Amino acid sequence: MAGSLFDGYVPEGFFDEVVDAAGVVRPHYREVVDRLGRLSPDELARRERLRDRAFRSAGITFTVYGEGEDLERTFPMDLVPRIIPADEWDRIEGGLVQRVTALNQFLDDLYVGERSAVRDQIVPQWLIATSDGFQREAFGLPVPRGNRCLVAGIDLVRDANGVYRVLEDNLRNPSGISYVLENRAAMTRVLPTLFGSQRIRSVDHYGASLLSALRFVAPPAAGDPTIVVLTPGVFNSAYFEHAFLARQMGVELVEGPDLVVDEHVVFMRTTRGLQRVDVIYRRIDDDFLDPVAFRSDSLLGVPGLLAAARAGNVTIANAVGNGVADDKAVYAYVPDLIRYYLNEEPILANVETHILWDEDQRAMCRERLDELVVKPVAASGGYGMLIGPAAGSEEIDLFRKRIEANPRGYIAQEVVQLSRHPTLVGDHLEGRHIDLRPFVLSGENVEVIPGGLTRVALRKGSLVVNSSQGGGSKDTWVLAPEVPGEPDEAGDGGGDA
Amino acid sequence: MLARHAESLFWCGRYLERAEDTARMLDVTYHGLLESPPHEARRSWLDLLVVLNLDAGFLERNLALDAATVSEFLVLDQDNPGAIVAVVGRARENARSVRELVSTEFWEAVNSFYLELQARDLRNDLAQQPYELHGLVKRRCQTVAGVAAETMPRDDGWRFLMLGWMLERAEMTCRLLNVRYGELASVAEVDRFHVLHGVLKSASSSEAFRKVYGASMDPAHLVEFLLLGRTIPRSVLYCLRQAEKDLLRLGEDELGRPQRMLGRIRSELEFQDVQELLEGGLHAVLDQVQRGVRDVAEAIGMQYFRNLRVDLHAVAFAPPAEAVEGA
Repeated sequence: MAGSLFDGYVPEGFFDEVVDAAGVVRPHYREVVDRLGRLSPDELARRERLRDRAFRSAGITFTVYGEGEDLERTFPMDLVPRIIPADEWDRIEGGLVQRVTALNQFLDDLYVGERSAVRDQIVPQWLIATSDGFQREAFGLPVPRGNRCLVAGIDLVRDANGVYRVLEDNLRNPSGISYVLENRAAMTRVLPTLFGSQRIRSVDHYGASLLSALRFVAPPAAGDPTIVVLTPGVFNSAYFEHAFLARQMGVELVEGPDLVVDEHVVFMRTTRGLQRVDVIYRRIDDDFLDPVAFRSDSLLGVPGLLAAARAGNVTIANAVGNGVADDKAVYAYVPDLIRYYLNEEPILANVETHILWDEDQRAMCRERLDELVVKPVAASGGYGMLIGPAAGSEEIDLFRKRIEANPRGYIAQEVVQLSRHPTLVGDHLEGRHIDLRPFVLSGENVEVIPGGLTRVALRKGSLVVNSSQGGGSKDTWVLAPEVPGEPDEAGDGGGDA
Repeated sequence: MLARHAESLFWCGRYLERAEDTARMLDVTYHGLLESPPHEARRSWLDLLVVLNLDAGFLERNLALDAATVSEFLVLDQDNPGAIVAVVGRARENARSVRELVSTEFWEAVNSFYLELQARDLRNDLAQQPYELHGLVKRRCQTVAGVAAETMPRDDGWRFLMLGWMLERAEMTCRLLNVRYGELASVAEVDRFHVLHGVLKSASSSEAFRKVYGASMDPAHLVEFLLLGRTIPRSVLYCLRQAEKDLLRLGEDELGRPQRMLGRIRSELEFQDVQELLEGGLHAVLDQVQRGVRDVAEAIGMQYFRNLRVDLHAVAFAPPAEAVEGA
């Protein structure tokens, strides 16, 4: 084991990304571990300060609700990167493309097609109809090319055997890509030679890829389409990202009141009058999008927007109604949907999930609640969960009653022992649980940005990686495939790591 | 560009100018009074509040008219919308809402200015080293202005930023003259230098004045300089000419209402004779200019920020943008 950083580091029985069960550093991490080990604690602390300054002065923050004045926080990035070897990534990428392709087909079929998955009883009709994310208003709402999940952020975890599994599909408004890009920018500045020592696949093209995907779904009559990013405004927790994306694409960042609909055509208010809008990359939830169609008390949306989309005059991305596939009970059927629509076996498995309105499965789960994780079907971000092994008997009883009262409202999953990754704590490394959110774009092709956002549960032992609950992140390095004949020593042996 | 963005940039410019003016005038008043008797001090502090148009807000709270109280009110009082912390906070909020329009350097300059004010113990600074604090605010504002000039493309966004900046400055210099001129004309010859110097320092124009007028203490020279000076960056005429240039470009050389209004005020000043002006009554002229500048700002708002078309067949209008900061 190289360097004092790793002194006393033990995997403690979890799957560790960097060291194997015997405590030996995995081959794709050797160079990086070696170089990091050569940095003195003082030098590391200096790099951390450099990083903090870079993030703060660039205003890279997220908002924590309800904490009085300290509303803006920087999202802590750990200096130890996560590394994914080329072959491992190929498999992930294939699995994600497959999954999003099937989900696009399912949603398009459901809202503007023959609903064949329902007709052929792959997914129960009643299950769809009772989903919170299902939107009647999306019936007949066309999306050019059927790219309903224009941006998907599929959460992956790695279990105790190192197997990647899909934890949830975020098909509505997945956020976090700005941190991927900013983490990368910070890493290349704070630890340049460490970064240079590896052949790492680039993520910088995200803005350009997103823009071409949005252009690809423009209404056919639009010609050279005008594209905007629609944000709830500066007080939204992800506002930084909305502005970031607009800037990356060179398009306007608009708020609801900036847009107006006239005779089923959407315009934005400019200093030179009204300008027609063709594609809206909206970062506002369905319910707030259009007070005429959805919540009438919403001031964030644009009255008449849905009717304009229905008339084919504007494309809304991601499409309205995607939430039905984010429903955790519908999630359980995604492997079947992949088989049904693509006639392929799923490359990436789900986390083992039990459906609680099924009497047999419910009876089984009832006795095992202390071993399972129970999640409400409509929530995201780790809210309202029961983690059986960590819960007291009162809490378990409470959930047992809730499940009996509303079996449709919950699912149960086997506990996944999330993989761990060495993470800087003071001047040494400790294992912390991580997950991975890769970003998938549906444009002319389905494209996965190499890597994604690795989130870290910074609190010892915690499994919760959400930024609002003490999570941090890591720059995620996908290694380029080795090209035969090229020297694999890319580093210049410089002084920084 | 988006109407809302134009408005944010306009206000961003106004707030930044205001922060600098407040710091500078506070500094001049503070140091000018170090050797003065208390009754004179009270009057000077009140004058300062009047120049900044914050006298009503201050007086209704029955606070003491002394250096410490007024300083705190003008620098760190969260309940005073004109306090430097509040003004810088709003400049930053406006800059943040156009983050994707302005250069990264500009945003970082504004943001780090704001963060530095947040991080400092301002009350302690005011007690221990007011000069340094005033200087810090002035330097930071000048840095932001410099960074803007060096990094922002000369597009419509730039023009709205500059418009806000120049109109605020024109109004501020007007008020400064309006409040202090009377005093200058009435004090005894021996005290005149003190007052004149204070006014010029307040408009950071003392050295430039000396170069043109030598040791003159003629109030008419001051008016000629700060109101009608064609080359003085804080003179009212200079600011109006700059603003007019940007406004004409915005209108693509069509004369809209704001252009015509501003052109009228500017040309009236530009072709004034200072003696005639003083004989006719300076206050009336200054009042008229101040009112004119406010009307121009209002007309800019109507023309560019709230361009509601009346012939829309919209389902329903979105409610007017919620009071954009300070609008």
